[in-house]
Amino acid sequence: MSFVTERIRVIKASCILSIHDLFTTIRPSLWLLQVVVPSLFAMFFFSMIALYAGADREFVIIGNAVQSIGMTTIYAVSGIPGVQKHIGTMSPLVAAPSSLFTIFLGMSIFGIAAGFISIAVSLFCASFIFGVSMASINLTSALVVILLTTFSVGGISMMIGSVGIYLRTSAIIANVATYIGLVLCGVNFPVSDLPGWAQVIAHCHPLTYAVEATRGAVVGSTVADLAEPILMMIVLGIIFIILSYLMFRFFEHLARVKGRMDTF
Amino acid sequence: MNLKAVTAAFKQQGIQFLADPQWIIPSIIAPFMFTIVALYMHTDLTGPVVLTAVLGGGVLGMWGNMLFASGFTITYDRYNGTIEPIMMTPSHMIDVIAGRSIWNALIGLLNAVLVFISAEAIFGVGVSLADPLMFFAMLVLTLFALASIGLMLAALFVLTRASFVVMTILQFPIYVFSGALFPIQQLGVFAPISYVLAPTWSVDALKIAAIGHGDTIVSLGLSFNVAIAFVLMAFYIAAAYFLFKIIERNIRESGALVRY
Repeated sequence: MSFVTERIRVIKASCILSIHDLFTTIRPSLWLLQVVVPSLFAMFFFSMIALYAGADREFVIIGNAVQSIGMTTIYAVSGIPGVQKHIGTMSPLVAAPSSLFTIFLGMSIFGIAAGFISIAVSLFCASFIFGVSMASINLTSALVVILLTTFSVGGISMMIGSVGIYLRTSAIIANVATYIGLVLCGVNFPVSDLPGWAQVIAHCHPLTYAVEATRGAVVGSTVADLAEPILMMIVLGIIFIILSYLMFRFFEHLARVKGRMDTF
Repeated sequence: MNLKAVTAAFKQQGIQFLADPQWIIPSIIAPFMFTIVALYMHTDLTGPVVLTAVLGGGVLGMWGNMLFASGFTITYDRYNGTIEPIMMTPSHMIDVIAGRSIWNALIGLLNAVLVFISAEAIFGVGVSLADPLMFFAMLVLTLFALASIGLMLAALFVLTRASFVVMTILQFPIYVFSGALFPIQQLGVFAPISYVLAPTWSVDALKIAAIGHGDTIVSLGLSFNVAIAFVLMAFYIAAAYFLFKIIERNIRESGALVRY
């Protein structure tokens, strides 16, 4: 079996196993509620604050529709090593001949796909529940932007998850990353309102470009019009995937050397 | 109520809190971020807006802490295999959960104070309180209003192995309906939901103590708010007590407590 075929087989097996595990503990209907309800209430909550604060309501609703990926992909993907430690399967996974990164990549696929579902459903709700006009939406642009958002945010999520191999959990870092997204990425107010140093951090986060590009797609911008944020999402996504690979190897090595693979 | 069991559960929750830094998320990080977002969203930062944002952030933090602590307390017992020993002890489960909830309430109070101090130190918001003593009393009332809902939910969390999912689902609705960061009149037809939540009344009382006036449609002043909050809290605690009794009996009979 070739190197690539073997990797694909491991990714596929890990992905199927992770989906099976998820729906053994949670009913699909409850999982869907978990994806939809917090996003819906987050849009409602921040739109109410916008109304009170005199801010642009549609700006806030679309921003939070995209930000919903934080509650699905970032939490789901970055939490995988922590869950494996909790259920006692980390050691067998490390002992398996396949690389840990390949296994976790497979386990992450459903969480990354969930991000796509989350943004798509949230944008649908933004229109049908919150009355955001989608009359001019460019569907091709929206589809490309949502796909690239899931790809680039998936990269960050895997990078955060790698820390969970060495530490007890990566939950704190995942939450900080999600909340940084909420504050710095132009979700509820323009990035230009932030201090200079915060704007620099914002422009290293793919969510900033995702939010900007989604707002553009909603008002009818084509893929060519959105070339800059789209390109930035591709570049950042690739960088984060490479970094996550390197970090997985580093933390796996560190955990083996220090005997902390199963430490709580 | 078995006070010895309540005290032991209180101590044990304290030890677990200090051993596991995850609690910093709902306690400190989340409310502080919400306060920052609310402050940035306001186009005009004059009048009681800043104080409302800071107070709101503190209240959301207390709720986040309470909700996650109530849910995780059962989830971790399942993970750690300690839920069966707890069920086997002669004490009722509500004694154990009550002890843990009191610890969580104390941490919630600390978190509200921390959000307040951080907002003052970082933003220099220059917050002044209309009645500081009453404000602190109302802060404690808000905390217990949230804790009583947490106690009731903890009973339901015993029934499900997916309590973390339910927690995630329940986090934002209380943010919305408590009126912590905006007046509940804005909720329109959904406003009546807010009126059956004790935190709505205690948050309004908190605003009266802090800025001199509240937001609720039927508010008749601070004493009225406090009275309504107490009635609702009594209802939640009674509901929690009966729920725990029923659930405890049912899971002992069915033997399905730790089934995965």
